[in-house]
Amino acid sequence: MSNVLIVAPDRCIDCKKCELACSLHHAGSLDPDRGRIKVLNRGVEKGMPVVCLHCDEAACLIVCPVGAISRCDETDAVVLDETRCVRCKACLAACPFGNITEDRVDGRVLKCDLCEGAPMCAVFCPSGALVTRSGPRPLRSAP
Amino acid sequence: MQRLTSPDALEKLRAELAGKRQAIKKTVFVCCGPGCLANGSRKIADAIGLQMEKQKVDASVGYRRCTTGCHGFCEQGPLVIVQPGDIFYCKVKPSDAATIVERTVKGDELVERLLYLDPGTKQRCKAFTEIPFYAKQTRVALARIGTLDPTDLGNAIASGGYASLAKALFTMKPDQVIDLVDRSGLRGKGGGGFLTGRKWRSCVKAPGDRRYVICNGDEGDPGAFMDRATMEGDPHCVIEGMIIGAYAVGSHEGYVYVREEYPLAVEYMQLGVDEARKAGLLGDNILGSDFSFDIKISRGGGAFVCGESSALMRSVEGKVGEPRAKYIHSVERGLWDQPTVLNNVETWATVPVIVQKGVDWFRSMGTKGSPGTKAFSLSGQVRNTGLIEVPMGVTLREVIFGIGGGLFKRRTFKAVQTGGPSGGCLPEDKLDLAVDFDELTRAGSMMGSGGMIVMDDRACMVDVARYFTAFLVDESCGKCVPCREGTKQLLALLTDITHGNATEDHLARIEALAATIMQASLCALGKSAPNPVLSTLKQFRQEYLSHIEKKRCPAGVCKPLTRFVIDEETCTGCGLCLKACPVDAIRGEKKKPHTIEPSKCITCAACREVCPVDAVEVAS
Amino acid sequence: MSTLVKIKIDEKEYEVPRGRYLLAICQENGIPIPTLCHHESVEPWGGCRLCVVEFRKKRWDSWWTELATACLYPAEDGLCVWTRSEKVMKARRTILDLLLARCPGSEVITKIAAEHGVYQTSFAKREGEDNCILCGLCTRVCDRVGARAIATALRGALKEVSTPFGEPPPDCLGCLSCAHVCPTHTIGHTEADGKRTVWGRTFELVRCSGCGAASVTREQVEYAVRTKNLSPEYFVKCDACKRRESAATFAGLLFDERKGGEGPVGPTGSGPSHE
Repeated sequence: MSNVLIVAPDRCIDCKKCELACSLHHAGSLDPDRGRIKVLNRGVEKGMPVVCLHCDEAACLIVCPVGAISRCDETDAVVLDETRCVRCKACLAACPFGNITEDRVDGRVLKCDLCEGAPMCAVFCPSGALVTRSGPRPLRSAP
Repeated sequence: MQRLTSPDALEKLRAELAGKRQAIKKTVFVCCGPGCLANGSRKIADAIGLQMEKQKVDASVGYRRCTTGCHGFCEQGPLVIVQPGDIFYCKVKPSDAATIVERTVKGDELVERLLYLDPGTKQRCKAFTEIPFYAKQTRVALARIGTLDPTDLGNAIASGGYASLAKALFTMKPDQVIDLVDRSGLRGKGGGGFLTGRKWRSCVKAPGDRRYVICNGDEGDPGAFMDRATMEGDPHCVIEGMIIGAYAVGSHEGYVYVREEYPLAVEYMQLGVDEARKAGLLGDNILGSDFSFDIKISRGGGAFVCGESSALMRSVEGKVGEPRAKYIHSVERGLWDQPTVLNNVETWATVPVIVQKGVDWFRSMGTKGSPGTKAFSLSGQVRNTGLIEVPMGVTLREVIFGIGGGLFKRRTFKAVQTGGPSGGCLPEDKLDLAVDFDELTRAGSMMGSGGMIVMDDRACMVDVARYFTAFLVDESCGKCVPCREGTKQLLALLTDITHGNATEDHLARIEALAATIMQASLCALGKSAPNPVLSTLKQFRQEYLSHIEKKRCPAGVCKPLTRFVIDEETCTGCGLCLKACPVDAIRGEKKKPHTIEPSKCITCAACREVCPVDAVEVAS
Repeated sequence: MSTLVKIKIDEKEYEVPRGRYLLAICQENGIPIPTLCHHESVEPWGGCRLCVVEFRKKRWDSWWTELATACLYPAEDGLCVWTRSEKVMKARRTILDLLLARCPGSEVITKIAAEHGVYQTSFAKREGEDNCILCGLCTRVCDRVGARAIATALRGALKEVSTPFGEPPPDCLGCLSCAHVCPTHTIGHTEADGKRTVWGRTFELVRCSGCGAASVTREQVEYAVRTKNLSPEYFVKCDACKRRESAATFAGLLFDERKGGEGPVGPTGSGPSHE
């Protein structure tokens, strides 16, 4: 059983509070560039949140040469152990969705870890575009 | 050689070989150990073979020539021994072959001039058993070396080889073998002195899929050649010991790690393993039993550190030979992380003898804490350099003055360095120390693998410490900081002293640094690296102080701190020094005292070496 | 399941899994231990010896204390450890003194040494520019990555980190992992005009087909495709362009071709679902 982050783009109002919450939680600063979630604009007050899908067969996990990326038993999230990361950026290049980025301030690799099961982006989302729901992680296959 | 499929087949073969040997009237043994080889013993062997053919005393009529491993008395090499009679010829030349064959082989006469001249009694010794060098030894691990052809398995079998293996395999359970070795009190002869039986038992108890046995033949100490002599002189006793050990701990795969610098040892061990395999003594179902075991030869690149067990194992695995922490012992997690028993060549070579002759016999030699015998390579400023084996507990004095024949004329004993580069130097008042693992350690040195270097009054102890430290600086694997950087700085401090650049706090700095190197280094090499410095500092502190305070090297070794003068009263004016001086710094008329011109002298000590009356002295 | 054992660190009791290394235990419990050769991505090494701690345990019949490296010492029942005893601090100071003599120009070493009260080395300084302390992290990480492009050469005082025969390393991927883990930041590398240079070899960076941005080398991509069986398609574009593309894909799926009320998802995605 785990919390699932549900993304409902039709409710997104492009306020980018999720980016700020994420960067504040992980990097300690209100800097959207350092967040692990991105909202792309698709019209006036319409956004498209893009965040790690925690793929079943995660390319980042497969490509990491030092085993720094693994699936967390408790949250089912694909997480990066920063103490193990050697910053070769292979994950960043391999993610087919572009959901792993580099922190331009300190060079760290930024990857969503679902905040240990309580994603901050969902906590701060005012419009219900990002919500958490407890339940099993839905298994999805490629279309 | 046919494949032996039962212990009876082995005994039958042995009887057959012994019968053939009975028919041999005389055997000429030519020592082809490293020392004799370097002195041209191969040529002597060829010449003797040729002469035997020429004089018609060859194999067809019951005469035999046999090239052997190191007989031990390297100082007197090349050696030729004729049996029966233990007739011992030394310093033999190829041109002596015809005489030896004619008079001693064909006839029954002795060649007087080739017999050993005892400097004590001034008598020639007929048999080597009369020579003090041999008479005072007890040979166990080295027993067969020098009596057989190391390249011939038949020779080894005829001399009792593999009888212990048959005994262990067919009359003992593995646990009984361990129990036997345990009760014998056999201690690892590679230096550590760890109880072999206890090591084997820990290996059996450790969990693992496979177990390995390894023979450490990476003898790297300068001046040590016991293991080399064993591998080159009697490879089958090592192989037999390993098979017995493997049977005891349940291993099916073993490695012999030999340094590449010992090409003959590599060749003979490989040959021994191949022959033993062909004879069914290695491989599947040894001697028809259900025990299988095989040995591979692994060659080392000659790094001193690869004699350290964990570095050796990495090297066998094909990795860089660097030690790793032994908080988990290699008997539990050794080669490829499996339980591994690693013993030194001499230890393995001792195992068959213990199995054969029993615990009581073994314990009748040596001391309570260190039973049995130990091989040493005696070198340095001692008359009889060579390979020896003595019971543990014998005094240093007995070894150096009894077997070693003491120092050269007019020279006095100053120190003996035991335990290789990481050992220590012991002064004269420690000469009555009993040689065993614990006593040497207590005295600030160690047993090591058995190197013993004797130094006379012309050795500078600071320079000796500097030499061994320099060796360790080069041979440190460089993995850990205290050993890599620490020994380097230790060497720099010692070099300051020998160059006269030292200040009064140098000794304190050396001691403080040495303490950290000993406490914080990763492996035994680093932990023992300060031993040469600390032991000389403890025993010869005055000599250090003389270098630092008086800027004088009392032994006349450290050039910047030495000035030679000729003692007017002693000098006979023979003029030898004048001739020897390479820079014409010596003046003097025949039969009148000579003098050294200090501005020209380069302190090469050539004059001191040649002076027959020791008139050249170090100025005070 | 690992069994728990009781150990004492600096007189305080802890219950920890048997066999867990002391360094990890100390780090988890906020006990500071200096180290220079440790990185979580590789096996502990015990080379820098800075993490030495003093421990007391019973062997045979007597108690004894000794120094051991925390990074390699496994916890066992009844173990008593001191992390800042006089013996420990003396050893650490001497080690830092030695390292400072080796790398007098290293800011990292200078800082740690100063923290331990060593402000300048008492030993002869080494000549030379580089700040390599031979901790072996670069070579170990390179092995772990799988490239095995660099290794230590020679031994003792002459030991150095080297490429094969000192030439540009043929097996290097240019991933810069070595440079990242280097504790003294001594592995030089440059990046300009879509090219990266490290260990004397210049690598071409894979440029995004959309915007031209680059983050990894061609060798890295080829290695990943070859050894991990990943699609080369993944590596064609940069993260930002890929993100834009996936946003567009989702938007297309969700808003333009909406079928019934079901929420379609991304190509291979699962987990957070887009409704």
